[in-house]
Amino acid sequence: MKRHLFIPIALFFFIACTKTITPNLNTASTQLIIQGAVSDTAGPYYVSLVNSVGFYAGNTYPGLSGAAITITDSTTGLRDTLTETATTGTYVTHSITQGIPGHTYLLNVSLGGKTYTASSTMPQPVALDSLTFDTRDTTQIFPMANYQDPPGIVNNYKYGMVINGVVDKRFLTFEDRLSDGRYIRDKVDADTGEIKRNYTVKLCLVGIDQNVDTYLREAAGIAYNNGSLAAPATPTSNINGGCLGYFSAQTVSCKTRVVELK
Amino acid sequence: MAKRHRMPALLLCLFPLILCAQSKSGFSVSGTIKDKKTGETLTGATIGFVAHPGLGVVTNAYGFYSITIPEGIYTMVVSFSGYATDTTELDLKKNTVLNRSLGATNSQLEQVVVTSSRKTNNILKTPPGLQRLSVEDIKDVPVLLGEKDVLKTIQLLPGIKSAGDGSSGFYVRGGNSDQNLILLDEATVYNASHLLGFFSVFNSDAIKDVSVYKGGMPASYGGRLASVEDIKMKDGNDQKLSGSGGIGVIATRINLEGPVVKDKGSFMVSARRTYVDAFTGLVSDSTIKHSTLYFYDVNLKANYKFGAKDRVFLSGYFGNDVMHIAYNGGVDWGNSTGTLRWNHIFNNKLFSNTSLIYSNYNYNAQFTSNFNDIRVTSAITDYQLKQDFNYYLNPRNKFDIGFDVIYHITQPGQATAGPSSKYNSLTLEKKYALENAVYVSHEWSPTTKLRFTYGLRLTALSVLAKTYFNPEPRFAASYQLNDMSSIKLAYDRNVQNIHLLNNSTSASPTNVYLPTSNIVQPEIADQVSAGYYRNFHDRQYEFSSEVYYKTMQNQIDYKDNANLIGNNNIEADLLFGKGRAYGWENYLHKKTGRLTGWISYTLSKAERQINGINNGSWYAATQDQTHNISVVGIYKYNRKWTFSAAWVYNTGNAVTWPSGKFPVDGVPVYYYTSRNGYRLPAYHRLDLGATLQLKKTARFQSDLNFSLYNAYGQSNPYTIQFQRDPKNPLQTQVLQTSLFKMIPAVTYNFKF
Repeated sequence: MKRHLFIPIALFFFIACTKTITPNLNTASTQLIIQGAVSDTAGPYYVSLVNSVGFYAGNTYPGLSGAAITITDSTTGLRDTLTETATTGTYVTHSITQGIPGHTYLLNVSLGGKTYTASSTMPQPVALDSLTFDTRDTTQIFPMANYQDPPGIVNNYKYGMVINGVVDKRFLTFEDRLSDGRYIRDKVDADTGEIKRNYTVKLCLVGIDQNVDTYLREAAGIAYNNGSLAAPATPTSNINGGCLGYFSAQTVSCKTRVVELK
Repeated sequence: MAKRHRMPALLLCLFPLILCAQSKSGFSVSGTIKDKKTGETLTGATIGFVAHPGLGVVTNAYGFYSITIPEGIYTMVVSFSGYATDTTELDLKKNTVLNRSLGATNSQLEQVVVTSSRKTNNILKTPPGLQRLSVEDIKDVPVLLGEKDVLKTIQLLPGIKSAGDGSSGFYVRGGNSDQNLILLDEATVYNASHLLGFFSVFNSDAIKDVSVYKGGMPASYGGRLASVEDIKMKDGNDQKLSGSGGIGVIATRINLEGPVVKDKGSFMVSARRTYVDAFTGLVSDSTIKHSTLYFYDVNLKANYKFGAKDRVFLSGYFGNDVMHIAYNGGVDWGNSTGTLRWNHIFNNKLFSNTSLIYSNYNYNAQFTSNFNDIRVTSAITDYQLKQDFNYYLNPRNKFDIGFDVIYHITQPGQATAGPSSKYNSLTLEKKYALENAVYVSHEWSPTTKLRFTYGLRLTALSVLAKTYFNPEPRFAASYQLNDMSSIKLAYDRNVQNIHLLNNSTSASPTNVYLPTSNIVQPEIADQVSAGYYRNFHDRQYEFSSEVYYKTMQNQIDYKDNANLIGNNNIEADLLFGKGRAYGWENYLHKKTGRLTGWISYTLSKAERQINGINNGSWYAATQDQTHNISVVGIYKYNRKWTFSAAWVYNTGNAVTWPSGKFPVDGVPVYYYTSRNGYRLPAYHRLDLGATLQLKKTARFQSDLNFSLYNAYGQSNPYTIQFQRDPKNPLQTQVLQTSLFKMIPAVTYNFKF
């Protein structure tokens, strides 16, 4: 909201200007980041282990080999031991082929003598009703996710987008804290570039549990809005043991549509 | 009249000290000091007596003074900065009323004035920590877009720090920006900023003066920890109809004032409106074309004297900001205040003021984005009754006594959603609080050189059947070393029961006010300050050097990644702890001559210790600016031209920046190790101004004011964002947004 207000003020006065600066930043000790998910769409599923890097380093994060990883469906007792793929630091499932809503999944990672654990319960699926486009301003076309939030229960969502076959690298969450039971029509921001006429957009509504939502919501604030937060801080992970990242049991519902102007 | 006898009796019981200070019987001389031309009462004018250097008194907020002295023949001298000194012969045989009007000086006379008023040194006599500015004092100081602004100008004084470009927020002696009590004709102004903080709500045409207390607050003030900014509107010219106004780059102002009945009553009407929105239609960008952006404010005041002893004032302020952005919605917010005051002179020694005060601040935010209409409102409303008595027993003893009752109603938020909105309508609970205070204060001068002011304020906040009592002792002492210098010492405790929450770093209208509760305890500050004050060169120069040490309890900060929006249990996202601040403030002011101005330097530290932040260790508060310098110069080149310059420099604020990064869904997210562990680069800026006096007659005068804000184009950060490089997704960058590089402005001002 603040950003929206700020832009016109700046333009009115022709006064705002931006430049990149390179302040001295410390590089904290390396942190382990674990990220993995199980969903109600067919597997296999992946868990990745990488290290954090300094701010001025490139956006590539060294993968970590040699971890012993299991994912257990605690509802059925089925335990899957993951194996490392050809990509360093990425591990893949074998026996858990499709997640089931309502089941609780446990992640266990052993690396360098330390153990990291997480638990996530897959919510009941919420279907994406339709994908539409807000074309009121044709220079800024926004995809709209339309769906019914189930009343009486806590729901947390994440949006994912694929534009012309390319995964859009932006994540956005929505919680029903102030919207329980409403029909949701939510505008989804794309990462870079504009969405134009005749583009093919695939939009996915991902149902996540509350701890995953906390991590992702805080991470989104840090990633996209750190300049105006009163108290920016590292997001709170749902994995125990002293690492960052998240482990999510989630539901996925997608729609694909071509952008048309009326 | 029964009251008349009860008051002194009551005071006698309260103050045994008075007994040893009883003086011989005498007669009182009392009255009101005014400006000759406009009839405006003068606050803080000094009344002295030739050959009696120990006798003296200062006019109160309504220009009233009273002093009781032995029978005799006196030469009474009234002086006030910027006015010709007034001298009256007085043969005191009975209680006497002596009202005086002072004429303004012009520069040719100034030298004479200086010599004649040598004995009445105001810097030596004012309470420690007080600084008073009139609109006249600030009229030549260069400002952004030529809009004279008292709240911006006080930020050039020592110990008062700006919250940065695009913010009218300010920090006093290590306090937060919500710890300043900003009063307009006694009414609390909750959000003193227009246009997200680029301008303050105080239209200089309507303002008489501002008194700033950084410490040693008199017991009559209370409610905020760090400072008091007591802003008084003009009463209105009671001699003749006059007006002033201006046409500037951003706004137009008009002010009209005049007598209702000459010498008896007057009125003042002042209005200002910006017109940037008049140009938005011309911009091709469709978002801007369909956007609205303006603010306005209106000040109204009227007063009338019913006989020699009663005067009634009615004043009001209404202001609003409207900001609507096409396709997105917008916000509007505003303050309104109203004050009804009754001054009554019971007798030569007892002055009373009774005020009924209303204050309201509210904001509305509308978000409209294709189906998702929602309107969020929030407000705080105060109803207040305030009573002050000033009792001038004798030249050595003065008493102030009074009480204050405020009923606060806070509406932290109410959301009304449209039928197709993704949000539910929501009403956060309204909160009601009753804030009561009583105070007594005694000003005692045991010798001509030594003066003590001590008192006690007792506050009680009642909320949800629970009452929080807090005594607030206040003490100030000043000792005049000689004609030229004095030392002062002060201790004061302040308590704050209304707390502001705002989880955005920049000035935002979406503020949430919370009264004290089980979780949010009353904030308490204790401050000790001491200073040395000196005049040089026949009072051409004033110098002061003050040190202070302050501790604060029950300070509020936010949990990591706190969410304050639509949160019914906002207290759960707050953390509490302690604060401390200390510093050394230096100020050299050249008051007369062709070149006037000041240099201010502050060395200070402001820290917080809060459980849950930085492992509970002390850390720098955001406003911890180690060095802070302001240099202001005003040069009268000739009758036509006046040039001015202001330069400011301060250590950058403490900020929270990342010390690494990691991926979340392929997007770089930043790793933070501590709160406020980094520093913004130092802030500095030069502003230039020039005023060209146009035609000047007895009836009409006008001038053109030119200003250049940030003259050397320093790019001081407004926001700093850590982000992925949009041109190279494999890199991250630090993007600094700056405002206001070399902003020229011209304003035409007139007066009749």
